[in-house]
Amino acid sequence: MPARHRGNGAVIKQHRNTAWWLVFPAVSLLFLVGLVPLIAVINYSFFDIFTLDSRFWVGAEWYAALVGAPEFYEALLRSLLFTTLVLVIQFPLGVAIALLIPRNTFAKGMMLIILALPLVVPWNMIPGIWLGFVNADYGLLGQIFKLVGWNFDYKFRAFHTWILIIAMDTWHWVGLVSILAHSSLSIIPETYYLAAKIDGARTWAVFRYIQLPKLYGVLTMALILRVMDSMMIYTEAFGINAGGPDDATSFLSLELGEDIAAFDYGPAAARSVLYLLIVLLSAWFLQLLSRKQDRRSL
Amino acid sequence: MIWNGCKSLLVIGLAVVMVVPLAQSVLLSFMSTLPRDDMVVGTFTLLNYRNLFNDANLVGSLWTSLTYVVLNILICLAAGLPAAYAISRFSFVGDRHFLLMLLVFRITPPVVLSLPVFLLFAKLNLLNNPIGIALVHCLFNVPVTIWILENFISSVPKEFDETAFLDGYSTPVFFIKYLLPIIAPGIAVAAFFCFIFSWVEVVLARILTSTGGKPISMAIESLLGFQTDVGLVMAVTILSLLPGVLLIFFVRNHISKGFQLRI
Repeated sequence: MPARHRGNGAVIKQHRNTAWWLVFPAVSLLFLVGLVPLIAVINYSFFDIFTLDSRFWVGAEWYAALVGAPEFYEALLRSLLFTTLVLVIQFPLGVAIALLIPRNTFAKGMMLIILALPLVVPWNMIPGIWLGFVNADYGLLGQIFKLVGWNFDYKFRAFHTWILIIAMDTWHWVGLVSILAHSSLSIIPETYYLAAKIDGARTWAVFRYIQLPKLYGVLTMALILRVMDSMMIYTEAFGINAGGPDDATSFLSLELGEDIAAFDYGPAAARSVLYLLIVLLSAWFLQLLSRKQDRRSL
Repeated sequence: MIWNGCKSLLVIGLAVVMVVPLAQSVLLSFMSTLPRDDMVVGTFTLLNYRNLFNDANLVGSLWTSLTYVVLNILICLAAGLPAAYAISRFSFVGDRHFLLMLLVFRITPPVVLSLPVFLLFAKLNLLNNPIGIALVHCLFNVPVTIWILENFISSVPKEFDETAFLDGYSTPVFFIKYLLPIIAPGIAVAAFFCFIFSWVEVVLARILTSTGGKPISMAIESLLGFQTDVGLVMAVTILSLLPGVLLIFFVRNHISKGFQLRI
């Protein structure tokens, strides 16, 4: 691993293989709760399983059925669209909010608390909160819709379901993007801004040449978290309309959830492996992206 | 000047938008939402909270949740601190693979692993047990802990540990007596993120407690039914937020300090 550069100068790391002892507890823990189930799931995906004791080798049959069905591609497209919308909305918004966070200690603290609030809500309660919010009879937003005469019908109109899920997800996660972005903005030394002011730089130039470069690293992190979590959104989307109307919001993981709920071990396992490959591929791609950023910032 | 005014307005507007959906839930939690003999629907009342605290199941599930979250934080810190130190200070064979592995496990969707995890933990006899959930949540929390702590440890000058080792301290003593106090804010931030990711997770928590020992998030689901008492559900929701809100309050000045990915 190349030496990493930090704000306070170059750090050259000592090569020492005994450091493995320090990593050992974490590795064994992750093997137990991560690797062992992973291997099991790959194993199941090649069997037709009635009970765990009576099972038949079916080879790649489940995979063939999965890849051959149009439902898979439809769900994949829906998930990709959802992830794209999430990124397009939440990143500009999150960065904008981070730039707006006041510098005054008290106001800043309050703002961070408010932004972090949705993050501590258990995921299965988030749909409940939003369904209450848009309820036409007693919901604050639902009553406003009624007042202005907008017939908001998330149960039967796909477009409205999408709006509701996107709004809910943005409310839920934009705080994470802002907090992470704020963390890298807050380490920019005051002198940089001063220098920019002396040069007569405009707000946009300050953002483009001082703030944005600092954001790259942390935004890659946020990007990875948001891409993965939105691709595999399950609990929240299911809670809104269970994938409906007419499967219009049936994302990848909702289909997997159905297989698992029906105790279809074999097909569920094959689906899991396929999704995992998608996730790994994205992770690998994002890692390449992040290494490139690292080199640029050196 | 005008820009500053607009900015303040924007900030206030934003805060309102973030808080309003929750405010609705708070309001509902203080309302009678089912037709009752002695109360009109919509009356302001503390009844929901009284019902909540009289329900042994709900109170018990709150304790279950707190138990596994705290256990999870302790396990993650114990396993994560030495690993973070190793990554921060040394290079070793396979270190990049280790970092890639952390990323992979952090982003593996829980729903993908839920089935085999269930079978594995049934074999280990850890179903319906807070220890089981605490262990399985390490899947995503150990990577996060390592990333955060590595960041904090790397900002401690190397000379600091060299002095301690020259004084003849063994590695465990060094970690506990020297490193821990100096990176205390990092520990708080790591604990905070472990807390929120573990507290809000439901897929694995659900499958591991399908027959008993349910956490608070699952206890709520059992309240939903033919005639749901929305007020009670909202009261439980609000109560389940409080520990998280308290934690945010304590770490608010540190969460903005460090959380960067290393791959």
